[in-house]
Amino acid sequence: MLLMSRLLCNDGRYKFGTMCLCDFSLQNISGSGKDKNSGRSTLVKQRPAVFPDLDNDTPRNMLKRIIQTQPQVSPLALRISKHEETEGPVWELPAKRISNMGEMQLPDLVPEDASIATFRMTKKRRKISVSEFERAADERLPQNQARSTLDSSTALARSFSMSLGTVIPPDTVEKRGLLRRPKNRRAIDIEAFEGGVEQNMLKRKAQKYLVDSQTASEIQTTVLTSDVEIMLSNTELFVQPQFDDQSQNKLSVLEPQLLNSKTSAQRSKISDAAQEEARLVGTDTRRTPRNSENLILDHEHAGRMTPLSPGTPANQQEDKHSHSQQSNPMKQLSVSEEVAVGTAEHRANAGYSEDLEKTLREKGESQITAAQDARAEPEEGGIAEGSVEHPGSPKAEHEITRSVGGGSLDRHSHTSSSEKSGMKLLKEAVEQADELEDQAIKIELDGTEEGPTEDEAEDPESEGDSIKTPTFVRAVAYKPLLSTPHPAKPAAPKLSTPRPAKPAAARSPQQPLQANRVPKGSGVSRRKTSEPEIASSLIKKIFSHYVKMPVARDAFKIVQKCSEKYFMQLSNDLEAYIHHAGRKTVEMEDLEVLMRRQGLVTDKMPLHVLIERYFPLEYRKLLIPVAASGNSVIPSK
Amino acid sequence: GRMKRTAPRSTLRKIIKKHKPQLRLAANTDLLVHLSFLLFLHRLAEEARTKAFENRSKIIKPEHTIAAAKVIKHL
Repeated sequence: MLLMSRLLCNDGRYKFGTMCLCDFSLQNISGSGKDKNSGRSTLVKQRPAVFPDLDNDTPRNMLKRIIQTQPQVSPLALRISKHEETEGPVWELPAKRISNMGEMQLPDLVPEDASIATFRMTKKRRKISVSEFERAADERLPQNQARSTLDSSTALARSFSMSLGTVIPPDTVEKRGLLRRPKNRRAIDIEAFEGGVEQNMLKRKAQKYLVDSQTASEIQTTVLTSDVEIMLSNTELFVQPQFDDQSQNKLSVLEPQLLNSKTSAQRSKISDAAQEEARLVGTDTRRTPRNSENLILDHEHAGRMTPLSPGTPANQQEDKHSHSQQSNPMKQLSVSEEVAVGTAEHRANAGYSEDLEKTLREKGESQITAAQDARAEPEEGGIAEGSVEHPGSPKAEHEITRSVGGGSLDRHSHTSSSEKSGMKLLKEAVEQADELEDQAIKIELDGTEEGPTEDEAEDPESEGDSIKTPTFVRAVAYKPLLSTPHPAKPAAPKLSTPRPAKPAAARSPQQPLQANRVPKGSGVSRRKTSEPEIASSLIKKIFSHYVKMPVARDAFKIVQKCSEKYFMQLSNDLEAYIHHAGRKTVEMEDLEVLMRRQGLVTDKMPLHVLIERYFPLEYRKLLIPVAASGNSVIPSK
Repeated sequence: GRMKRTAPRSTLRKIIKKHKPQLRLAANTDLLVHLSFLLFLHRLAEEARTKAFENRSKIIKPEHTIAAAKVIKHL
């Protein structure tokens, strides 16, 4: 029937043939009108001999004829009489049949009004009125009540079928004229109807509440079933456990904290924790109840830390945190987080921060696995900066997690840099094994030896510094200071947040080595150790590969100098970006920014393309995350 | 092509550490540093080649390299 619609659209005006049927007729009517009609009618009269040739005639031609003959038909009801006058019944029949069939076959395409219009046009049957529909439905309804009540849901479908059924036989209706179906309406049995309706509703309720019911009364009594009760019952997210008072306080503090991981909630809890701690400081009663290993450990730590942290408040705080240790590690985290933030708030209290570290150490021992020294540096640095910065609790948590690997020591144990020491103690606390602590203590001893020499230089600076200056900036401030008294030491390990003694130890032997080496190295300058450089062979290889031409030896020297300058500039730029971002560690994005600024990475040249071009497969795998099967990404983030 | 395709990762780290001791590098950032270095050398090489062509020379001479470096600096 699309073909038909296409044919109808030959005049190019209408896209779809749906309205063409009607519009075409309209057009013809509104057009020259009777002339056309007369012409068509003459045509019609000339054709009757040809028409019945259904076998040889193509549908195309038939349809053409239909179009030409059909237009007399109007969607408007008043035209029907004219239509009947002008055309013979012979013509009407096939035309209408086909057109009707067309209409039937275009149920979805034909819009509602058009279909109704066509119905009217051709059949001249009764108008479908709502009242009549309802009456018919009602007739049907009592009839069907004998059947199962579920069929009532299909009453609509039945009414549809009824209407469709009445639609279809056009020719019969038309031929006989107006036929009215015998209206055998019987009086509706109201009681039966209402009973049926009730039954319907009851059945539905029964289905809903999973209760079988025979009578209405049953339903009414069983409406409030278990389901409803369950729904209306206690909807608390979590049940408060019944502990003794002290832990209850803590748990009530901790649990909501656990569940609401919002900073605002945490802040409120922090104030609670602070209050709690204040209470703890005052009372001395909580020490005894729990004599767990933790307490023993605490005392050990207390013993160790006695040179650093005096007093009872420490122990009390320790107890509090030992309590916390009995609960979830999560709670510990949150507690320490709380405490960390609390520390930030009560900075003046040196003992406070020391307790912090103790608790965190305990926590570290209980949960965290071995950390490497290599990780100490980055995490310590992160911790120091983060803790010194605005005490956002998530940040504190982040720092704590970062300090997991921190093999921290407390070198600067003097109270002037109490904050600093507090943070270092923090890191220390997170440190996991006793070995590391032993190391720390040993190194601490070493550090204290070395400390006084350096502290003299550092003390005035550190005392002068306000608490909030990041260590990074302090390091920068220290650098010129240290460079003068210790020119031999290339770096300033003391300033930067406590590194393990290894670099210090490494450097101290370095000094004598350097002293020894100077007379040695005359010919071949081994400059790698004290001044690391890119291998000249590598530079030569790379440069000559790119330049594709022989290169003079002196030119290579220049290239080498350029490389050195390049790295200086690169590190300066990276430092600037880092400082701008408020970070301490160079990340991938910083390098991408750098390359972008250098014009290497553009919108047309993304970073990954460059990586693919210049790097072998192994590096590509490291740098470009690739999705593998099993929902895994390599390298995993 | 180049035989040696491995980046001198530790050397790079040492260089940066020497120059900026407080700066820390994340996991594979040194590779990106190496990448930027390669690209720098590439650009330098291209410029040097251009300069050598301008002077109708068959080999790269120091003056070509110096001029090339000056051009690169301005980029």
